[in-house]
Amino acid sequence: MSLEQFKNRNVGVQSYKTLDVGTPPKTGMEKFTQVVKRSVKGELFVGLGVVMKRMLEALFKNDMHTVKYPFEKMPISPRYRAIHEMLRLLESGNYRCIGCGLCEKICISNCISMETRYDENQRKEVSEYTINFGRCIFCGYCAEVCPELAIVHGQRYETASEQRAGFSLFEDMLTPIDQLNLQQEFDGFGAVSPNADDNIKQTPLAY
Amino acid sequence: MCTHNSINSGKEITLTIDGKVCKSTFGKTILEIARENDIYIPTMCYLTKVKSIASCRMCIVNVDGVDGAILSCQERATDGAVVTTNSEDLYAERQSIMKLYNVNHPLECGVCDKSGECELQNKTMEFGLAEQPFTARDQSRPVENWGYVSYDPALCIMCEKCVRVSTEITGDEALQLQFGGYSSKIVNTQIDKNYSTLGEAASVCPVGALVDTNFKYTTNAWELSKIPSACHHCSAGCQMNYEVKNDTIYRITNNFEFTSLCGAGRYGFDYANKGVTKDSEAFNRAVEAMKSAKSIIFSSQISNEEAYILQKIKELTGAKLISNEARAYQKFMQAYSSVTGKHLYNGNLKAISNSTAIIVLGSRVNDDAPMVKYHINMASKWNRARVAYMHPIEDVEMKNLVTQFMKYEAGSEEGVSALLVDTLLKDIDVPKDVRAFLDDLDIGNLSAGSNIGEEEFELLKKSMIKKRDFSLVIGADLYTHPRATQIAKIIALVEKYTNFNVVCIPPSSNAMGVSLICDLDDEADEYSVGYNAKANFTLSALGDGDLDMPALNQQEGTMVTIDKRLVPMNVAQPYGGYILNDIANAMGIGARYTIDYTKSLPLEKGFRGVEFDALDDYFTATGDEKRGYLLELHETPTEDNFEEIEELDGFDGAVIYNCNPKDQFSPFTNLCSTIKDESKLVGSSQFAIVTKLQDGDSVSFTVNGIEFKRLFRIEPSMKGTIAINPIYDMGLSTPLVSYYRFNKVQIIKEEKKED
Ligand code: SF4
Ligand code: SF4
Ligand code: SF4
Ligand code: SF4
Ligand code: FES
Repeated sequence: MSLEQFKNRNVGVQSYKTLDVGTPPKTGMEKFTQVVKRSVKGELFVGLGVVMKRMLEALFKNDMHTVKYPFEKMPISPRYRAIHEMLRLLESGNYRCIGCGLCEKICISNCISMETRYDENQRKEVSEYTINFGRCIFCGYCAEVCPELAIVHGQRYETASEQRAGFSLFEDMLTPIDQLNLQQEFDGFGAVSPNADDNIKQTPLAY
Repeated sequence: MCTHNSINSGKEITLTIDGKVCKSTFGKTILEIARENDIYIPTMCYLTKVKSIASCRMCIVNVDGVDGAILSCQERATDGAVVTTNSEDLYAERQSIMKLYNVNHPLECGVCDKSGECELQNKTMEFGLAEQPFTARDQSRPVENWGYVSYDPALCIMCEKCVRVSTEITGDEALQLQFGGYSSKIVNTQIDKNYSTLGEAASVCPVGALVDTNFKYTTNAWELSKIPSACHHCSAGCQMNYEVKNDTIYRITNNFEFTSLCGAGRYGFDYANKGVTKDSEAFNRAVEAMKSAKSIIFSSQISNEEAYILQKIKELTGAKLISNEARAYQKFMQAYSSVTGKHLYNGNLKAISNSTAIIVLGSRVNDDAPMVKYHINMASKWNRARVAYMHPIEDVEMKNLVTQFMKYEAGSEEGVSALLVDTLLKDIDVPKDVRAFLDDLDIGNLSAGSNIGEEEFELLKKSMIKKRDFSLVIGADLYTHPRATQIAKIIALVEKYTNFNVVCIPPSSNAMGVSLICDLDDEADEYSVGYNAKANFTLSALGDGDLDMPALNQQEGTMVTIDKRLVPMNVAQPYGGYILNDIANAMGIGARYTIDYTKSLPLEKGFRGVEFDALDDYFTATGDEKRGYLLELHETPTEDNFEEIEELDGFDGAVIYNCNPKDQFSPFTNLCSTIKDESKLVGSSQFAIVTKLQDGDSVSFTVNGIEFKRLFRIEPSMKGTIAINPIYDMGLSTPLVSYYRFNKVQIIKEEKKED
């Protein structure tokens, strides 16, 4: 592909149909006539009527059409990419993160930073892990690359903060150990596909 | 190129590799010639700096007219050969080798230290292996922590590089192969010694099997940025890289294909003067002190540019420049050149490793200069070199290399040099006055005084008869000897009238640079300013002076190595304070950066006037060193006048020898938490009897006006009545100790506190 073509993002075959929206008024007189016509037609009251009906339903039939944010929140699609979570192994409660550093490497805005150490069991362990949410663009690459399903996107989408640079530490994102039973498997970006088992090839074992 | 591989070099040959006509010389392997010509042949076990190992078979090539594949890393190229490095068959064979390497290899790249720079990982990708097709019954193979390094047998591919390095290069000979099919592994036969030189073995490990324990799992290789530099702990100035992340040095790596480091270079990186800010009051005091100083006392562990600044200050204020070790070396080399007519010695490290007979005089070389020891070891392993080790104290660490240990009395170095030179020049034509001087020597008397029998010299002479390349290594014991200039002149006769490769090991890291750049003086006057040395006003990179200075990994500069090469050093750690150049600027000696002086270093001393930023710092694909530049050799006026050998008062009774253990060189290595060493006085049981000491006693004694308090330990491997006293841990006082290394001292036993 040449650079020209590459830059032209409008590459699909264009088969849209344009709706017949009539012709917009041109002269001042035409515009004036249109305004007067619409005002006198009474469409305004149709709208007001709908609102009144909904209000009455809400007041007397307990049939609400809005949620009381921030006390109530809409469920969000698992594919939504909100603030990250760090998951634990369900059986042992150990960190799933093995400290491989792939997320740190792949992160497109360079906002993950981590430290690892040689632990008492001669294993590699993450000792520090932070994400700078002032820079994160929620692209989901980190969750996709993680071989352990350790870093995933969670449901916490409110990211307003007083400072531009908001850091999250490992403990902030980690499933609290006493809530391990509430830990949800992540279905979103980078999660195992439903047919994952079919794609796995077993490493040969001699016994 | 590794010259040890090219024995019959010289004859021109031409061969064709993959259709490319390659000219080379006879004696090189096909692989070497391919690399010279930028032709890629995959290898797994090849390591340029050791003899070919030939354990992997990855380097197979086809040669027209020869049946079957041959190992290009081992086979010498012949004239007219037509070589094919790649074909479908070769690819398939290499691919199956990789399959075998992957049998049972743990799938742990995700946490492995080597990931990102792993040969197995790279070649597995290169040969398109997406899975492990075979397996063998595995067994538990636990990780072994050996101290400085740890070993994971499960990851080991048995390439043998580590074993070869430990035998052929560092000479610790700790590692051995243990065969046993899939349970083959490497064993460390010297775990209790915890050799830091095993870091060299770890550095060549192509996989994550042998790794530095202090680095293990602390970061991923690709997160580190490499800062090329030179190690300034000793005068070898080895090539190395600081590997840095977030202003922290994580490890030291080097171009292990061609060079090596010692334990101090590998693990001694944690000495930066951290957290310094600009203290303008202290700075103003420093400028005033410098202006009024009558002398400037400094350790020669500084860069050439700093030495040049000090020289400029001397020219401005007339202050004396005092650096004991560099001054002793300067005087020694001046006397030496007055005989040879060249301002530097003729030798270098590489020539040592190519020698077949080596004489070491006046240095406990394993501790003083590990790189010299490595090169002696290479000569010993590759050429079965004769090694005569002349020193008052036997060194067990040298036992497996030394073919003749010649013990002489401490203090008798002048006589020993004369006897040695007399032996080496016996059948050689020399001018009349030299011959007269040698004939006048009272051999019997000298022999008796030094305690080396004449027959020992005869043996030495005999052992060198059928040898071809010779080296003489001169150490720091001689520079500080009261008769150093006379000794220098005697030794210089060897360089002048024989084909010996002579190396006079600079006594500390940049002693050679300092001795070439500065007009040094002998005695300090009050009021003095010290640079990394104790004085009335002290500038210190050790963090305990009146004004902070940057350590050598916090500033740019150059140093001169034992190979007479100027090499660049770069900044690896941040520094926020004032530097020597600021003081010089405040005194009106103006240069924006310290390294602006690199091009002004004195041309008449062999410097080439090259800008710092124009200095190269790399090795070519075939191992040619392109670091900085070699100093030019200049002619100096000669004068042959020899004095009579002086009788010395004997050093009977208990004597103390100032010598640092092998991983320690200076107060800077002492700051490094990663080097494990206890500073203690060690002596033989004989020494203990003479001094009435017992193992574990606390003692105090004074050497050159500096008081030492030490724990005394008996070392069963030592003999004689000379004990070894380290001086690296004396901080700002260390540079003041450098007088003659043997001293008779009064040892006071401290009362043991009852508890
Ligand atoms: S979502 Fe994207 S930008 Fe944010 S941390 Fe992950 S990789 Fe980085
Ligand atoms: S990719 Fe996953 S396992 Fe690897 S460091 Fe990141 S969170 Fe941990
Ligand atoms: S040695 Fe290499 S291939 Fe083996 S786990 Fe480590 S990085 Fe991976
Ligand atoms: S430890 Fe490393 S260098 Fe030594 S044999 Fe094993 S793989 Fe090779
Ligand atoms: S490189 Fe030739 S056998 Fe390994």
